Amino acid sequence: MRKGPIIITAAVALFFVISWIIKSGGAPEGSSSYDAIAEGFWLTFAAFLTLAILSFLYKDNPFYKFAEHLYVGVSAAYWMSLGFWTTLVANLFPRISMTLSEWFQVEFISYQYHFWVPPILGVLLLMRLSPKGGWLSRWALAFIVGTTAGLNLPRFLRSDFIEQISSTMLPILVNWQGFGDFFTNFSLSASGQFVSIVSNFLVVLGVLCGIIYFFFSKEHKGAFGAASRFGIWVLMVTFGASFGYTVMGRISLLVGRLTFLLDDWLGIISG
Amino acid sequence: MKKEIPLAIVFVAGVFMAVQFFVPHAGSEWIYEFVMEWTIIIGIFALALGIWSLLRVSTTKIKRKMENWPYAVVLLAGLVSMIIFGMGFMGGVESYMFRHFFNHVMIPLHATMFSLLAFFIASAAFRAFKARSALATVLLISALVLMLRFNPYLGPVGDLDADLASWILNVPNLAAKRAIIIGIGLGMVATALKVILGIERSYMGSD
Amino acid sequence: MKIKIIALMAMLLLLASVGWGQEEAAIDSTVQEVIPPGPPLNLKAFDKPYDNGHAIDLTWDLSVDDGAGRNNIIEYRLMRADSPEGPFVERKKLEMGKTEAEDKGVKEPDDPNYFPREHDFYYKVVAVTADAEAESEVVGPVRGIGQWYNAGKNPVAVAVVLFTVFTIYFIFKAKKGAELYIRPLAGIDAVDEAIGRATEMGKPILYVLGLGTAADIATIASFTILSRVAQKVAEYQTSLIVPCYDPIVMTIAQETVKASYYSAGRPDAYNQDSVFFVTNQQFAYVGGVNGIMLRDRPATNFYLGKFYAESLIMAETGAVAGSIQIAGTDEVTQIPFFVVACDYTLIGEELYAASAYLGREPVLLGTLKAQDYAKALVIICCIIGFIAASFGWTWFVEQFHVGN
Repeated sequence: MRKGPIIITAAVALFFVISWIIKSGGAPEGSSSYDAIAEGFWLTFAAFLTLAILSFLYKDNPFYKFAEHLYVGVSAAYWMSLGFWTTLVANLFPRISMTLSEWFQVEFISYQYHFWVPPILGVLLLMRLSPKGGWLSRWALAFIVGTTAGLNLPRFLRSDFIEQISSTMLPILVNWQGFGDFFTNFSLSASGQFVSIVSNFLVVLGVLCGIIYFFFSKEHKGAFGAASRFGIWVLMVTFGASFGYTVMGRISLLVGRLTFLLDDWLGIISG
Repeated sequence: MKKEIPLAIVFVAGVFMAVQFFVPHAGSEWIYEFVMEWTIIIGIFALALGIWSLLRVSTTKIKRKMENWPYAVVLLAGLVSMIIFGMGFMGGVESYMFRHFFNHVMIPLHATMFSLLAFFIASAAFRAFKARSALATVLLISALVLMLRFNPYLGPVGDLDADLASWILNVPNLAAKRAIIIGIGLGMVATALKVILGIERSYMGSD
Repeated sequence: MKIKIIALMAMLLLLASVGWGQEEAAIDSTVQEVIPPGPPLNLKAFDKPYDNGHAIDLTWDLSVDDGAGRNNIIEYRLMRADSPEGPFVERKKLEMGKTEAEDKGVKEPDDPNYFPREHDFYYKVVAVTADAEAESEVVGPVRGIGQWYNAGKNPVAVAVVLFTVFTIYFIFKAKKGAELYIRPLAGIDAVDEAIGRATEMGKPILYVLGLGTAADIATIASFTILSRVAQKVAEYQTSLIVPCYDPIVMTIAQETVKASYYSAGRPDAYNQDSVFFVTNQQFAYVGGVNGIMLRDRPATNFYLGKFYAESLIMAETGAVAGSIQIAGTDEVTQIPFFVVACDYTLIGEELYAASAYLGREPVLLGTLKAQDYAKALVIICCIIGFIAASFGWTWFVEQFHVGN
């Protein structure tokens, strides 16, 4: 093993221990020494993991690999445990078995026999692990895929199709009182009538050209091609807007993490 | 038989759930709610399959001493200890260790991974700067207008920027999103229909 | 002294009796001034249409003192009873000026707000002023009945039928051998090249199905693309890595990839561990996928499915690792990040069209044609609606309003 990694690992271990000792001393009054040591360890460990993940920005390294693998293992088990207690124990057992409810000390609700369907399908799904019964798992998959498809078909046709068309049917002549009124009150302000009319027209035009861009079975040539090109320009303006809008929110996330390191862990700045 | 029954299940379940949308009767609502609960419960059983897969891949890595195998040990240690703390009947998800793993391992890791986005968004913006196409320039200009408008440090840079940003959000942004959503709606419906009618069945496996 | 005390007590008694008398007189004068408001008139109660049967709709005419007359109505109270004689229970309060209400409950019998279906109810509405009330006539019996079809959703039903007819028609047409043109899509054209590049470099291909579950149509669309990609991967004898976020998605992906290897005639090359579960925690999954990108150095990364905030972390890591990246999602907010960080991006509907493009099977191309016809119909409807809305012809626009 080369010297460099050993020195770095030793330095990190040393920093970890120093931080643990210092943080163990800063426990709130009234807590036992055991609690103080434990809290010191957890806080230091959290800071270590934070720095390990941030180190990824430099390059992949053993600390990042450690944090990443720990994160994957812990989080997978976390959801498993949570799902077991909140879904199976709290929701399923009280409806299918009095014995299991008593065993897990949850209140038995009543026998609801249709609740046997999901455990049966669940067991069919687990048949994948058996070399011969794997095909049975498809029944459960078919149930999930089928219900998903059926569930989404009319719902998305409503929300992503009909309601969107309905919202696009905008009146072009906003607050129209005749040409005389239009010219006498002409203004280029954002809330003015002229801008509103142009905006409504552009919304409808943008939607139509955007839809034209998504035509697959017609060549994008001539007027159709021009409309499609206008459509992609509108899409790009939108993507830029979405990008710009998100940037600031992401920076505040980083500020939050730096605050944890500088305030909660190192105590350099006061929260 | 191995394929016909699942396809029949897909068809019946699909048609039933599609029709259910149009039936407001309480009986139909009950069935909808049951199906939703069933799906969640089946998901927990499936999670066991997931954990099995994770165990299998990690142990294979360790057994074969594949590259980076010691980290598979870290993964397994985290996985097994969290399962013991969470399901080992020592207070379950309320146990001291489970809560502390959540608060001092999962939360900081989650928040830090999320915060990496700040760096990545900066490098992505730089990448967009380097792109020389007209469309990339349009994207960049639009992004700059919005960034200037919503930066928390300077506030909107002039009324023109504020007006332009709100116009972009309310006109081209609205139009393009609507066009995309209409397309997505159609794509989803077409895919759902293909699945229900058994035209698309690649997910059913081979034999 | 005694006389003084008796006189004093007598005076006190006298004063007290005068006081009481005045108080009574004051109360009497108040009672005389209170004039009850005009009651709500013409109360009607009827079963709420197109619902689950656990609600009643009511309408009435305003009290003469609401917005007119003495204009002193504060609120209305909706009262319900099991018999015309009562007892009536208050169901809800409504602001002045309201002429309709919905008495809606839930279907769960053990819920405090349970509303029994097909049960006779009697209603009255009480107009309330600061110091008086006036009741409407009692109406009833009325009962909530669940309907078996929601006519408010007719536009959706029409759309489902139309789209299904389009699809089936074009599938039959395609099966008969009609030539169907499809325009080139850069992201799809790049798939072959990307797999070829991976083969040349001897590096794996990473396919990320995203954070969707099997309940997301985008994920189902991604399975169909995965199946085409896996088939090509099997033909080219390249290796494939599919890290999964959801265990059910993993199970389906395993079936899909296995089937593709079989249909490519290379069942022996299929490795079950190439499709594996990572975790179903968003950023832990990102960490795992990033690790794969940096350590296995895949030549090509596919990100097709449902993506959220993690999209940029993965796409940027892949870009830094030097992989060719092809992305596609229907999450509108994430498309910009893929556009910036990936070589090719399938925008929205293009994700759903990709499987037909890759498979080139007439049946699938037929559905693309059906989608295009539906879009043409959308454009026509939008133009007519735009003109109709501009000239105030509301009938056409209202045909697209969907009820709850």
